Amino acid sequence: MDRLLALSNDLEAAVQQASRAVLAVHARPRVPSTGVHWRPGLVVTASHTVRADEGLTLTRPDGRSVAGVLVGRDPARDLAVLRIEAADVPVAELGDSGSVRVGHVVLALGAGPRASWGVVSAIGAGRPAGAEGALFGLDLTLYAGFSGGPLVDGQGRVVGISTSGLSRQMQLAIPAAAVNVVLDELVRHGRISQGYLGVGTQPVRVPEAMRQQLGLAQELALIVVDVQPESPAAAGLLLGDLILSLDGHAITDPVELRRLLRAERIGQRITARVVRGGQPRDVELTVGERPARPR
Amino acid sequence: MDLAALAVALRGVTVELTDADAGPAIGSGVVWAPELVVTNAHVVPGSHPRVRRADGGMARGRVVTRDRQADLALLHVPELGLPVATVGSAAELRVGSLLVAVGHPFGIRGALTTGIVHALDSRGRASRSWIQGDLRLGPGNSGGPLADARGRVVGINAMIVGGLALAIPASEVTRFVQAAG
Repeated sequence: MDRLLALSNDLEAAVQQASRAVLAVHARPRVPSTGVHWRPGLVVTASHTVRADEGLTLTRPDGRSVAGVLVGRDPARDLAVLRIEAADVPVAELGDSGSVRVGHVVLALGAGPRASWGVVSAIGAGRPAGAEGALFGLDLTLYAGFSGGPLVDGQGRVVGISTSGLSRQMQLAIPAAAVNVVLDELVRHGRISQGYLGVGTQPVRVPEAMRQQLGLAQELALIVVDVQPESPAAAGLLLGDLILSLDGHAITDPVELRRLLRAERIGQRITARVVRGGQPRDVELTVGERPARPR
Repeated sequence: MDLAALAVALRGVTVELTDADAGPAIGSGVVWAPELVVTNAHVVPGSHPRVRRADGGMARGRVVTRDRQADLALLHVPELGLPVATVGSAAELRVGSLLVAVGHPFGIRGALTTGIVHALDSRGRASRSWIQGDLRLGPGNSGGPLADARGRVVGINAMIVGGLALAIPASEVTRFVQAAG
């Protein structure tokens, strides 16, 4: 068969297949966003498009309306999960997001259906990879209302959730494997727990003399510029402390600090190596849980 | 047919419309019938546009009829000597169907662009149906052909709205040409 025609037919079939599980999400003024019926009764969408917590409605692929209840959200990965009653709406067929490679042809879908095509342009775009896999950078157009919609492979399988809400520069998608992890946690706890010390920090250059005196390899460390009252940090850290390491891991960036404070560390003791008044010392802290933040 | 062959065929039925013999393209046109070229009304403000073939040869055209509402114009170009486009049907398109456009965006002659059908619902001006393409077009594509994966012309590219390419379906173009006699 003609290759161009075969490609055209494949793309049509992929849109048709994937769009059966795609809904419009009405949770903000004006332009609705898109959601994917990910598991029976659970719709995944982009958190930044869910501006209201109550009174949400969704439009099914057949045009009928259905009410949605917010299960929880993960603003850091721009995901929100809504519960719906729609047993007759098919659930998305998920693909293996771990086998997606740069250069794979993909489609982004919006409710309607509407479609956009392009390729995966980068893996590991935007931010450090979590345990569930790195974000996909996309070379395609995410049109208004596409955020929260499926990223679809050439066979019509959903390999991620696309969003324009995680980066100003790039269109990104959260891999399906990461969506599964977030969804599990949101369904279980209603939120994503994250370890917490309660410090605001800023990376600073460690003075050469201090590096030599302490025999430090690292050129950067974090200076404490804020200590939240009654936080785990308040029990041991002071404004102006220079944090060199946590449990022996050198810290040179606030993102590394956050990454070390994974949910499984909540309640554990952790040793911070700090410089205070020119003198190094170890400070024992207990990792807390990040309090729920007002959006 | 591969894409390169499709591009050659589509270029062969696409012309440039200019203000002056040596001037840059202000739009594109499609050979719809022998000596008859269809384009957008907004591309031919005057009554005797100049027409440049893909081989560089120039011809003088005359506007037979023009419908500003539909944004279509029909030109008679004697001695054009070009093959006629194979016309397809936009009704056969589905969301995701491959689309191919040829035109002269930003003065680049015979530029090829590929994309897919973005949506089938009507959008923009009410009561008109457009082919909505996820396709990167530019000024100079106006009036040019939008073709399907078989190389059949399914529409005339007319405008870009919010990054989407909007094209007038071939059936509407055929009705316009037939009404012109």
